[in-house]
Amino acid sequence: MAETLLWVLPLVPTATALLMLTTRDRRILSALDIGGSTVLLALTLVLVRGVASGGPRTFGVFRVDDLGLVFLLLLVVCTLAVSIYTVGWLKQAVAVGNMKGESLRSYFVLVHAFVATMVVTVLADNLGVLWIAMEGTTITSAVLIGYHGHHHGLEAAWKYIIVTTIGISFGLFGTVLIYAAAADVHAGAGAMSWSAIMAVAPRLDPGIVRIGFIFVMVGYGTKAGLAPMHLWLPDAHSQAPTPVSALLSGVLIKCALLGIIRFQTIASAACGSKFPAEVLLVFGLTSIVVATPFILAQHDLKRLLGYHSVEHVGIVALGLGFGGPVGTYGALLHVMNHGITKALAFFAAGTAIARYGSRDMRIIRGLLAVAPVGATLLMFAALSLAGVPPFSIFVSELLVLRAGIGQGHFVAIAIFLAMVVIIFAGLLHHAGAMAFGQPAATAGREAEAPSPLLGMLLLAAIMLLLGLTIPASFDGLLRRATEVIVG
Amino acid sequence: MRAHGAGAEDPVSTEMVHAIIDDIGALLLFTMILIVAAGQVYRAIYAVAAQSLLIAIAGGVLAAATGNIDLWVIAGITLVVKAIVLPSVLHWVVRRMNVRREVEPVIPIAATLALAVVIVVMSFHLSASLGTVRQAITGNALPVGIALTLTGVLVMATRMTALTQMVGLFASENGIFFTAMAVTQGMPLIIEIGVILDVILAALVMTIMVLRVRSTVDADIADLDRLRG
Repeated sequence: MAETLLWVLPLVPTATALLMLTTRDRRILSALDIGGSTVLLALTLVLVRGVASGGPRTFGVFRVDDLGLVFLLLLVVCTLAVSIYTVGWLKQAVAVGNMKGESLRSYFVLVHAFVATMVVTVLADNLGVLWIAMEGTTITSAVLIGYHGHHHGLEAAWKYIIVTTIGISFGLFGTVLIYAAAADVHAGAGAMSWSAIMAVAPRLDPGIVRIGFIFVMVGYGTKAGLAPMHLWLPDAHSQAPTPVSALLSGVLIKCALLGIIRFQTIASAACGSKFPAEVLLVFGLTSIVVATPFILAQHDLKRLLGYHSVEHVGIVALGLGFGGPVGTYGALLHVMNHGITKALAFFAAGTAIARYGSRDMRIIRGLLAVAPVGATLLMFAALSLAGVPPFSIFVSELLVLRAGIGQGHFVAIAIFLAMVVIIFAGLLHHAGAMAFGQPAATAGREAEAPSPLLGMLLLAAIMLLLGLTIPASFDGLLRRATEVIVG
Repeated sequence: MRAHGAGAEDPVSTEMVHAIIDDIGALLLFTMILIVAAGQVYRAIYAVAAQSLLIAIAGGVLAAATGNIDLWVIAGITLVVKAIVLPSVLHWVVRRMNVRREVEPVIPIAATLALAVVIVVMSFHLSASLGTVRQAITGNALPVGIALTLTGVLVMATRMTALTQMVGLFASENGIFFTAMAVTQGMPLIIEIGVILDVILAALVMTIMVLRVRSTVDADIADLDRLRG
C-alpha cells in the first residue's frame, strides 16, 4: 500500500493539472485546485501512518523515510492552504486586472506542475532524480514569478532562473563527484541512490566527498536562499503572485534544504560530521547577518518577508550545523514552523497590499481599523517570525540556541542572539506601524472576504498549536527524522 | 578506467583513451577561451556549439572504449540537442531581435580572460591534490570540467546581455557533462536524459522571457535593474 502511494503521490498534482486543461471556468478550476490539494493531503496522511508502523519504503527511484515525511507534510499543508486562499485572492486580482481572466487556466496548471516537481524532490531517493526535479521546480516557478507580465516581474523571473540554474548546476557537479566516489567503491547502478550510498558512505574517499559537498552546498544553497547566494530571493518572492510567494518561501526553499541534508548525511559518514557542520555554520551565520540590515531598512512589505526567509533559512542551517539530536530536531521543527508561518505572513501581506493598492509599508497604516481579522493574523505572523512566545518559531529557535550552547559554539551564539534581537525590534516596529494608527483615505473599506481568511486561519491554527504543544505523533516523526540525520 | 575497458576486443587501449580525453579537454578549454574572448554574441554561440560537438565526440570515444551503449545514446543526444538545436535557437533569437549587439562586458574582456586563466590553474591544482579520487574519473576530465563550469559562471556574471548569459550557462553545463561522462561507470542513462530535458526546458523558458521583454519594453532582460535593496 505505502509503496503504491510513493508513485501515486507525484501523479496527484500531475493529474490535477491535466484535468484543469479541460476547462476555463474559474469556479471549476478553483474546485479542482482545492480537490487536488485535499487528495494530496489525505494520501500523505495515509503514507505517514504507513511509515510510522512499517518503516521507510522504497519504490524504484522513490523512497520515503521520516525525514522526507516532515517536508512532505509541510508541502501538502501549505498547498491546501494556498488552494483555499487562491479562491478569494483570484476574485480580487481579476477584478483589479492583476490577473487576466482568459489566462487563469495556465496559472493553475503551472501551480500544480510546480507542486508535482516539489513532491518528486521530497520523495526522490536517486540523487539524479532529486536534481532533475529541483531544476524542474526552477522552470515551473520562474514562469509563475513572471506571471503578472510587467517588467518588474520579468526582471525578477530572469534573475531567478539565471541565478538558480547556475547555482543548481553546481549542485549537479557535486552530485557527479559524489557519484564518482560511490561508483569507485560500489560498482553498480545503485551508486546514485541515496540509500545505497549511505550503506557504503564510510568507505567513500573523503577528499572527493568534501569537494562534492561544497559544490552541493553552493548549488542547493542557492536554491535555499542562503547568503551570499540569496540575491534572487527578495526579488522573486516579492514579485511573484502572492500564493506563489507563499509556496516559494514556505515550501520550495525547504525542499532545497532537504537536498542539502541528504548530502550532509553522506558527507558526515564519509569524512566525519565536523566538516559539513562547519560549512553549514558558516553559511547559516552569513545568512542571518546579511539579512539583518535589509530587514531594518526595508519599505516594501513583500521584500521584507523575502529577507526574513534568508534569515530563517540561516537559522535552520545553524541548527543543522550545531548538530546533535537537539540541534537537528530544532532545525527540522524550524523548517515546519517557518514554512507555516511564512506562508501565513505572505497571505496576510497579500490581502493588506490588495486593500491599500501599495506594497509600501509607509502607506499601509491602521490596518486594524479597516480589516481587524487580517490585521490580527498579520500581527500574529510577524510576532511569530520575530520569535515571540507562545508562537511556534520561538520553540524551535530556543532549541537551536540550546544546541549551540550545549556544543560550546559561543561566538556563533552571540552573533545569532544579537541579530535576532535587532530583527525582533525592527520587525515589531514595522508590524506595529502597519496595524495601528489612522488608516489612509485610500484604504479599501469593504468587508473581509471569507476564502482568504479561511486559508489563513488554517495556517494560524497550526502555528499556534505547534507553539503551545507538539502533538505526540508529530514529535515521534521528528525524533525518527532526527535519527535519520544524526544516526 | 577499470570496469569495462579490460576486454581483449577493445578497439582502443586505456592509455589511448586517456590521451584522447586529455586532448579533447585541451580543445574544450580553448573553446572556452573563445567564448570568454568573443566580442560579439554570435561568435560565442559558434564557440559553444563547437564545445558541445567536442563533448559529443568525447562521449563517442568513451563509448567505444568502454562498450557502454548508454554513452552512445548520450553522445548522440548531446550532438543533436546541444551542438545543433540549442545554438540554432540562440542564433534565431539573435536574428529575430535584429541586434548584432556587442556582448557588453561588465569588466574588460582582457580582465575576464586573466580571471579565466586563474580558474584553469586553480582547477588543476585542486584536483592534483585529490590523489586517489582521480582513478574514478578518466584522465584530466575532472579539472577540465571544474574549469569549464567555473568559467561559464564567470561569463554569466560579467556579461550584460541575456543571450551571452545563456551561452555561459550552456558552457557551464558542458563542463559537468564532460566530467559525468568520464566517471568510470558513466551516469545512468535515464538521469542524463532527464538533465538534458531540463536544459531544453530552461532554454525555452529563457528564450520566451527574452523575447517578451524585448517586445514590451524594448530592452534586454538582463539589463533591467529596477529591483534593488
